[in-house]
Amino acid sequence: MTSKLAKPVVRQVKPLLSLDKEEARKRALNLYKAWYRQIPYIVRDSYLPKSVEQCRAKLREEFEKHRNLTDIRVIDMLVIKGQMELKSCANKWSQSCHIMNFFKESYEQKPKDFLSKFMDGRP
Amino acid sequence: MLRTPLHRALLPCVREALSVSRASASTAPEKIEVFIDDKRVLVEPGTTVLQAAALVGVEIPRFCYHERLAVAGNCRMCLVEVEKSPKPVAACAMPVMKGWRVKTNSEMTKKAREGVMEFLLVNHPLDCPICDQGGECDLQDQSMAFGSDRSRFTDIDHSGKRAVEDKDIGPLVKTIMTRCIHCTRCIRFASEVAGIDDLGTTGRGNDMQVGTYVEKMFLSELSGNIIDLCPVGALTSKPYSFTARPWETRKTESVDVHDAIGSNIVVSTRTGEVLRILPRVNEEVNEEWLSDKSRFAYDGLRRQRLISPMLKVGGQLAPVDWEDALVSCARALVEAGPHSAAIVGGLADAESLIALKDLFNRLGSEQLFTEEQFPVDGAATDLRSSYILNNKITGVEEADLILLVGTNPRFEAPLLNARIRKSYVHNELDIALIGPQLNLTYDYTHVGEGPDVLKQLVSESHPFARKLKAAKKPMIILGAQQLKRPDGAAILASVQQISQKLGKNKDGWKVLNVLQQTASQVAALDLGYKTNARSILENGSNPPKVLFLLGADEGVIQRSDLPASTYVIYQGHHGDVGASMADAVLPGATYTEKQGTYVNTEGRAQQTLVAVTPPGMAREDWKIIRALSEVSGYKLDFDTLAEVRLRLEQVAPNLVKYDEVEEANFFKEASELNKDASAKLGNESFDVKLKNLEDFYMTNSISRASETMAKCVQAVMKQKQSKYYEAQSA
Amino acid sequence: MSSLMKFIGVDKIQKAIQIFQENGGLKASLIKMLRNDELKSGTLVGVDKYGNRYYENNAYFVGRNRWIEYADHYWLDYNASQIPAEWYGWMHYKTDLIPTKDPNRPHHRWMLDHTENMTGTSGQYTPYSTNRPKIEAWIPPKK
Repeated sequence: MTSKLAKPVVRQVKPLLSLDKEEARKRALNLYKAWYRQIPYIVRDSYLPKSVEQCRAKLREEFEKHRNLTDIRVIDMLVIKGQMELKSCANKWSQSCHIMNFFKESYEQKPKDFLSKFMDGRP
Repeated sequence: MLRTPLHRALLPCVREALSVSRASASTAPEKIEVFIDDKRVLVEPGTTVLQAAALVGVEIPRFCYHERLAVAGNCRMCLVEVEKSPKPVAACAMPVMKGWRVKTNSEMTKKAREGVMEFLLVNHPLDCPICDQGGECDLQDQSMAFGSDRSRFTDIDHSGKRAVEDKDIGPLVKTIMTRCIHCTRCIRFASEVAGIDDLGTTGRGNDMQVGTYVEKMFLSELSGNIIDLCPVGALTSKPYSFTARPWETRKTESVDVHDAIGSNIVVSTRTGEVLRILPRVNEEVNEEWLSDKSRFAYDGLRRQRLISPMLKVGGQLAPVDWEDALVSCARALVEAGPHSAAIVGGLADAESLIALKDLFNRLGSEQLFTEEQFPVDGAATDLRSSYILNNKITGVEEADLILLVGTNPRFEAPLLNARIRKSYVHNELDIALIGPQLNLTYDYTHVGEGPDVLKQLVSESHPFARKLKAAKKPMIILGAQQLKRPDGAAILASVQQISQKLGKNKDGWKVLNVLQQTASQVAALDLGYKTNARSILENGSNPPKVLFLLGADEGVIQRSDLPASTYVIYQGHHGDVGASMADAVLPGATYTEKQGTYVNTEGRAQQTLVAVTPPGMAREDWKIIRALSEVSGYKLDFDTLAEVRLRLEQVAPNLVKYDEVEEANFFKEASELNKDASAKLGNESFDVKLKNLEDFYMTNSISRASETMAKCVQAVMKQKQSKYYEAQSA
Repeated sequence: MSSLMKFIGVDKIQKAIQIFQENGGLKASLIKMLRNDELKSGTLVGVDKYGNRYYENNAYFVGRNRWIEYADHYWLDYNASQIPAEWYGWMHYKTDLIPTKDPNRPHHRWMLDHTENMTGTSGQYTPYSTNRPKIEAWIPPKK
């Protein structure tokens, strides 16, 4: 009986910024463009040991990570975060070491399989 | 010896108390009613006030009383008030009477305790800050709890506190006899449990002294226990002196591996270092005692250690990285394939044993051997009954006749010997021995020296056979070392036959017992390891191309036995015989550094826990083999300890049933299968490896690396030079 | 005449020639310039036991009027720590008396010989732990 009564319910959620998918896409694109334009200045001002091309490749990589997102709210949240990050780079609140964190060159991956754990002496 | 005088000397009530536990078969006497602090309790007649109080959870302070020793009643700390009794009574020695009302917290009791405490402290030095007992001192604790809160000691520029000249009783026990409160626990332990009447008192009253009468060492394989027994800091541990306070250390409950008994221990560690080892109570294994080797050989854990993998470079072992070592070993193993062999030593845990066996089986080799040898004729190790201590250690207390065959339990398994002595003192146990004349700390009938006696016992032509037959619960303990002999199979077969005959109509009482010598042996045999390591050399033209030694340090196979082309891999924790002959060394972990399963001689699976991490680049043993398997391309299917144990369970389920004894059966079948061998008994009389105390201290790679153990050997040698030395005593 | 000479700078040339001569000729002067980056003339005040030569010329102002030419075997590897303690005071104007002229210098048998600063060389001091190692490793027997 109850199954007949049950109707598919679409939950209405409060939007963060964008009302539809197109708007979210635009926001993401705008953020990308803003970063793209800012990168030469970031590289020059922070004396990054990376070329503009490398940084742009990294920018693309960071965006590509979230390529398959469909939830507008999540996209919006990431855009907000990216905006914050851009602001802190542009205003030099982030210093070169912080920007270099994107490249994770000094970051060592924890060993996962048995043999590398063994060599590392981890339990 | 102690036996007769003790029985006569003990108060009738105490004797009663001792026999209470065994009297269950006879008619249970009526229980009597007493009141402890107005709490009603029903107890057996003959129970002491102290025991009755313990039943309702009232603990009465004591110094001299100890559950496992005879009652002395000389410290008077346990004085309690009994209603309608004009004087306080000593709770440890006084049996309760019907309707007694004991007051353990009354004014009179408190006053009595304070008085006793005052007298004790008058002559006790106030050197707690430099005393090793500090923090675990009964006197400290009890003076806080039961002593007077102010001192009447005004004798400042005084005649002085009692001071006693210090004694030297050996390299293990440090004596500061000025601190002694004359509880005589050590004396009672020495004469009752250790069976050495070396300690005693001289003088009376204020001049009383505990000592050895003459300048001599307290040479016993159980001497360390008097440190635990001493309620004050008079007897402390010499190797541990001034090392740590008890509250600074981490305690890890573990299992000992120095003998096949598997004593339960507590490992105290601080800053990644093992500081001392104490016994842990396990009534079925070690009660609360620990042998000196298990207790004091821990300093061997930090000497002669292998802390880095090594490879032979230009004829000389040099430290290398794990990668290089594993690749070299794996290459050798893969090249050798089925022509590889492995020998495991006495300290290997079951996890590494199963890992090694799986790896070798995948390589196509079945040549996995234990270092200890065992006859391979007949049923050999297929039936578990022929290699474990079937009656269990507690069985000793039920037995009424024990026949020791070619074994010296005193040094091979000191705690088993302590049990035998306990049973000898309290249960009228009779002991007989076939083998060389030994000092076992108790009287025994020396039946013979060699296997010919066994032959006569099988045919019941020996006079002793009648006695065996008459015994209600006889036990035969066969030393595993006799099975190394060429006629080992015959010895085992004859003992099995005798046991089989004796075991008839004894409803489940097993007679046959084999006393193993090493901690790993039972687990290795349970897992299907072979026992004739020498046979790899008898292949003639086909010696192993790779010999893998897993902690094998007893030199069963010498380097000179092998062709130069054989690649020897040693995996273990100490640089000893095995590492010296190896082409590649893989550093493993000792029993305090890994969680490992060990099965003791009665078939009881127990596990050690990690107390400290393996030093340097050393790793847990099963992990090394697991890594080696992956590098060599024969990857084993387990990554975690839980998975290894799952695999253990598949092979031998009893190995992961911790703290349980898996009993063996098929005695009859084993005996039948071995029957053919019994005719081949040799004539050479039995010899035991550990005859004297000096042989006891160094038996494996850990104890050989220990400085304390070396000092013990020297001390025994020195004692033998002494004019007070009697050949019989040690 | 002299003023004319002075006017056209001939005296400077004469002075230069004099300095060259005082320093042992053209070749020796060039070597000194290579080693010391400058060429000065002055009186040799003393030589220490390591072969260092000490000069003084009060025509220079204080701070430049006392200098050292390090012994030849140091070649270019010289540094100030090679000045022994007894000359240190004179070099730093703590005293005007050179060691040989000063009667108040202490002389004791137990006084150690001067050593230069060995930092950066194989002879440098390296701190080491005196603690007992927690684990004593096995050393494979030599064959």
